This record gives sequence, C-alpha cells and structure tokens, in this order.
Amino acid sequence: MSDLERQLTQLGRELDWPETPDLGARVSGRLRDSAGPVRRRPGRWPGRLGGLLPPAGLRRSLALAVVALLVLAGGVFAAVPGVRDAVLEFFGLQGATIERREQLPKAPPPRPPDVGGRTTLAAAREALGFDPLVPGAAGRPDRVFVDRSVPGGRLSLEYRPRPGLPEARSTGLGLLVDEFRGDVNPDYAGKIAGQATHVERLRIDGYRAIWLEDAPHFFFYRAPGEQFREEQLRIAQNVLLLERGNLLVRLEGAFDRARALELARSLR
Amino acid sequence: MHQRIAFRTAWMITRSEADAEEAAQDAFVKAQAALPRFREGAPFRPWLLAIVANEARNRVRSAGRRAGLVLRVAEERRPDDAVPSPEAALLDSERREQLLDAIERLPDPAREAIACRYLLELSEEETAAALDCPRGTVKSRVSRALERLRAELGEEVEA
Repeated sequence: MSDLERQLTQLGRELDWPETPDLGARVSGRLRDSAGPVRRRPGRWPGRLGGLLPPAGLRRSLALAVVALLVLAGGVFAAVPGVRDAVLEFFGLQGATIERREQLPKAPPPRPPDVGGRTTLAAAREALGFDPLVPGAAGRPDRVFVDRSVPGGRLSLEYRPRPGLPEARSTGLGLLVDEFRGDVNPDYAGKIAGQATHVERLRIDGYRAIWLEDAPHFFFYRAPGEQFREEQLRIAQNVLLLERGNLLVRLEGAFDRARALELARSLR
Repeated sequence: MHQRIAFRTAWMITRSEADAEEAAQDAFVKAQAALPRFREGAPFRPWLLAIVANEARNRVRSAGRRAGLVLRVAEERRPDDAVPSPEAALLDSERREQLLDAIERLPDPAREAIACRYLLELSEEETAAALDCPRGTVKSRVSRALERLRAELGEEVEA
C-alpha cells in the first residue's frame, strides 16, 4: 500500500461520520405491520417449551418477516445450518448475535467451555489487545485463560461456585466471564434461543446489554474467517452480554438478573 | 455491524443523512424479500451493499440534485487515541484538508471508488457490488483516481 493509500484509509477513520440510526427498530416495525399481530406466551424449561403459539399461518408470515432482522446483522445467516428455518426475533450487540428460533438445533452433548491457554491476570494484561475488566463483586477469579486465536485475544475468567454464585449446570462454575474486542470481531459470539428463553435488552450505566434467562440457550464462538460448525454449540444458562467501549463482555452463570446487574456494575 | 456499513455506504452516495436512512431501510426490507434467492454460503456483505447502493442511487436520481461537501474530520479524538498512532501521524490537519478537497473534486465514479475502497474500507468485491460494476472496473477507477489525486497533490507518480 502506498503512502497515499494509507493516508486515505486513515482519513476514513478520522472522518466525522454521521451517527448510524437504529435501522433495526424501524425496519422490524415495517415488517411486523405487514405480518399482523401475534400472541406468544413463553413456557418454563424443561418440559413445556413454547407455551401457546400463534396459529401456524400467522407464525409463518411473522417468521418470514422477521428473518429480515438477520439481514441487519448478517453474519449468522450465512453461517448457521438450517437458518432458513423460521427465526422469530433477532438481537445484536457489537461482537454478538442472538436469534430466537421456532426450532432449535439438536441439543449437543455437554462440553466444558473452550477457553484457551491458562495464565495469570497479570500475564493476561500483557497478552491482550485491551485492558481486561474484572467484576470486583465476584471476588478473585480462580482461573484465568487467554485465547490468542481471536484478534485482540479473548480473556476468560472462571469462578468456582461460592456464596452468591451458585453452580451453573452449563459450566459447573459459579461465574464464567469472557471478554473480547467486539469491534474487530463483529459476529464472533452467537446465541440461539428458543421461545422459552427470556431475552431482554437493557442499558447498564449507559452501556447496551442483553440478558438471557429462564431457558438454557445454545451458544457458540465462531473463529474469525471460519464457518460455523455445529459441534461448536454449547448449552449456556443465564447470560448477560454487555458492551463496554469496544469490548464485548459475557457473564454466564445460574445467578439471577439482579446479581447479574451487580456483577456488571462492578466491572473495572 | 452491517447497519453501520450499510448506512455509511448509502450516505456516501446520497450525501444526505435523511436520504441515507430511508435508502438503508428500504434496502433491508427489499433484502428480506430477496432472501430466498440468496445463495447460502456466499459472502453476505457484497450482496447487501449492492441492494443498499441501488436504493441510494435511486434516491439521488429522483432528488435530481448534488449536495454540497459533506466530508469533514471529527473534532474529538477517542480516549484510546490519546497517543497518536504512527498511522495518525501520517496525516496532519493541512494534509487532511488537501485530501478531502481533492477527493471532492474527483468525478463521481472516481470519488465513489475511492470512498468505497479507502474511506469505507470495503473490499474490491464489496466495492464492485456497491458500484454495480465488474471488479476490473473498480481496479481501473481506483488506479486512475489515485493518479489524479497524486497529480493534484503535487506528488511524484510511483514508478
């Protein structure tokens, strides 16, 4: 690349770009208006997924309409097999995509989280392309890992079960914290939720967040440049996803929403 | 994610935030209708950007006007840019203004090619999709645009 080309690229990064409006809300509004109203009651897991569903005809048209939300995020559509199955809702953050589907993929066998190489917090600070955030309200992490295969690195902090952090079936841990650069890895974390999972968008101290609760959902990391592979799916329990600057922070455990907010607010 | 690049691509073509927002929204609605024809496994962004750019161009045609200069440099730096990077040091404010002026004076096809490849950092394939032309045409437009910019900025052409 010549100097001029480098300067042009740098210029693009310094331009006063207009703020991107929230296209998702408007587009999904337009599509929902054309699809018609739907009544949906979430059930409780296990055993009673879905609860009352709308009539099949309405469900199909709503599903088709809301598939467009995948377009707004894009990446998962091309990667996840069977994605032309009905997607009911879609959520996204910088670094993560979440789909709510009518049909879930087959449940994978239980597997431990894939966390990278074991290290210390001090060494992780050197190895990562970002300043790690640690939830003070959880105490000291028991184990620290860094996965260098992700651009900027991915940090994982494991906390054994303790008072205030009960054991999660999905991980065997009290708390699992993952962090990575969401800005350079836009579709890295993927989640697929069924209708019984409660998915809530919220803001915590001004930062965008998504809370998933009640029914375990599927979760995968997609390494940069790779297609999704179904064996990468893992069941995840309650999860709070949080944008902090250019980081995506993921908190997973059996804790409730109030505890999740407390943990998120204690990130330093 | 895709919302941002779609909106910015539309804005580069329409030069109007309101038109860009409408164009991007229309594009997403049209993309939804076209999804059954999308080849699974094909790269997604070029496909989406082609639809976005088409909607943006439709708006420009129906508006029938060319808006004024829109490219400006952001005033504030982000906190993690407190120490200028080597890349940032390439550009002092005078050079920035020179580049912006020179880009604006390029003919539309050349300006759009430079904007897509460098300012938006789209790949050649994505640029070709957005500009609705073959990749070879993107290459030649970019190459001629760079020559012209170098001539305007008084630089020696690379051997």
